[in-house]
Amino acid sequence: MARAGTAPSQDKAFLVLHRLRKAYDDTLAVDDLTLEIAKGELVAFLGPSGCGKTTSLRMLAGLTPASAGRIVVEGRDLTHVPPYQRDMGMVFQSYALFPHMNVARNVAFGLEMRKVPRGEIAQRVVEAIALVRLTGREQRRPSELSGGQQQRVALARALVIRPSILLFDEPLSNLDAKLRDEMRTEIREIQQRLGITSIFVTHDQVEALTMCDRIAVMHQGRLEQLGTPEDLYERPATAFVASFVGRTNRLKGIARGDTVETGGLSLRTCGTHQGDVVVMMRPHRIVLGEAGCVSADGRAVNRMTGCVIRTVYAGDVVQSDVRVADSIIAVEQSNRGSGELPAVGATVTLSFLARDTLVYPAAP
Amino acid sequence: MNDHAPSTGLKILAAAMFVFLLAPVLVVVPLSFSGDAFLSFPPSSWSTRWYGRILAEPKIVAAFWTSLTLAATTMVLCLAIGLPAAYAIVRLRIPGAAFLTSLFTAPLLLPSIVLALAILIVFARLGFIGSFRGVLAGHLVVTLPYAVRVLATSIAGLPIACEEAATTLGASPLAVFRRITLPLMLPGIAATAALCFLVSFDEVVLSLFLTGPRLSTLPVEMFHYVETRTDPLIAALSVILVVITLAIVLLVDRTAGLARTFAR
Repeated sequence: MARAGTAPSQDKAFLVLHRLRKAYDDTLAVDDLTLEIAKGELVAFLGPSGCGKTTSLRMLAGLTPASAGRIVVEGRDLTHVPPYQRDMGMVFQSYALFPHMNVARNVAFGLEMRKVPRGEIAQRVVEAIALVRLTGREQRRPSELSGGQQQRVALARALVIRPSILLFDEPLSNLDAKLRDEMRTEIREIQQRLGITSIFVTHDQVEALTMCDRIAVMHQGRLEQLGTPEDLYERPATAFVASFVGRTNRLKGIARGDTVETGGLSLRTCGTHQGDVVVMMRPHRIVLGEAGCVSADGRAVNRMTGCVIRTVYAGDVVQSDVRVADSIIAVEQSNRGSGELPAVGATVTLSFLARDTLVYPAAP
Repeated sequence: MNDHAPSTGLKILAAAMFVFLLAPVLVVVPLSFSGDAFLSFPPSSWSTRWYGRILAEPKIVAAFWTSLTLAATTMVLCLAIGLPAAYAIVRLRIPGAAFLTSLFTAPLLLPSIVLALAILIVFARLGFIGSFRGVLAGHLVVTLPYAVRVLATSIAGLPIACEEAATTLGASPLAVFRRITLPLMLPGIAATAALCFLVSFDEVVLSLFLTGPRLSTLPVEMFHYVETRTDPLIAALSVILVVITLAIVLLVDRTAGLARTFAR
């Protein structure tokens, strides 16, 4: 029954979510989520809180029953399989370690449930604890470990059962920034070394961009775009993705062919459009100064002058807001240590390429 | 809270409160070692004979065993009924959970004399008066509210994520309950058991109405004893009861942590 009506590339797809839906009394938490994930991939579910990413993950794990749709892993329909028979490892935001068991017993739990012989359990527990670099702390209680160590125990506990899929529910959001960076690298490294298919739920775009093979951006229960980090950043499919991933300037206007009229400006854009649109451009793709950016075709460059109204020195970069006609455009320059900060009140020239603009139909 | 040492004023106040609360209990201890034939303080001579005399009172001894059996049975039944009830109310969020909570806790709010009278009228017809099951049923009415309350609090405080983690690791619902939920609930269960045992063990009002010549509980027998006799035997008995209560409280404290179990 798993095969009927599944997408064509099933032989390639390790995990298939088909029109997965979760309805609560009067709201749709997840609406028709369809995607395929290949074996060994690390895919992020990215979105703001309440977008349905955690609900989707919980449906995958079987902790939340799906209202409709199917979950298929390796051709096997798991939609109605109880969570304890799904063979998925999960790492929780709160770590969810068993407080009454020490590290070794926590890690051994899944193997004991699988009735693995005792000798093999001992050996696999030692390996898993070594993998997350906690050797020597086997007898500690979770309460005696730091947050990062607890999260590594949770990872070992989920890995030791050799699950078909590893699920991460915002695993790093309770850690401080430096530890978060370390754990990011460590999780990615272990995931790649073991070649384990993983889904990583996060609201942090940096986490998604730096760790994952592909990213599923979700918004209001819907999948906005599934693509590589580069796809998402360079070719966002929707205005939401463009504004959620990376910083953007956002101007409303009316398009006629390859030109958009917006707030007293006429902008050359990428491609041709008609009607009410939203134009976006990345602040750091805008060049400040007389020289401006050059293009083989002069028409493909937008050039304008404006007045600096605010400047922020942020270390690596300098961010400025420039008033151009009726609009305010944010500009970001990398700090090369040579130039002075654009002075507030100064008149400056901005330029950016037509191909660096993103144009979307305005929301009705 | 632990960072701040209490001020001297607070210490003195606490000490005064302790004396106020415990002084009557402490007076019983010297009284129990009285050599006099009547209760009088301070005693004119000392003796341990009243402790020995307890065993010579068959009614008291019989009532003691009845009370002990009754309290133990009440405790077991409270856990057997209270645990599923609390789980259903907190976790399964069954329809009418709020109503059930009120129903279970209502006996706490009624004056026990009114409750006792009502139970007496019903039980008299059923022929339950003076029988073990009658007194047991009565005790359950007053102990179950405590059981459901304490257990519900205990279940509500459990980290659901731990149970979910166990589930994803391959534990069936039964295995999750046995390996995760139950061990984590142990402090709550210990507290419930102790509370139900102690409430049943020194219940007087209901028992006065429900016991009869065939069956009596220790507090009822003690009540009757002081009505007719004035010797220090009752003080010796009181000291034994205080010791038993203290032992149970200490046991809970050692196994589960008193502050953790009661002060939630």
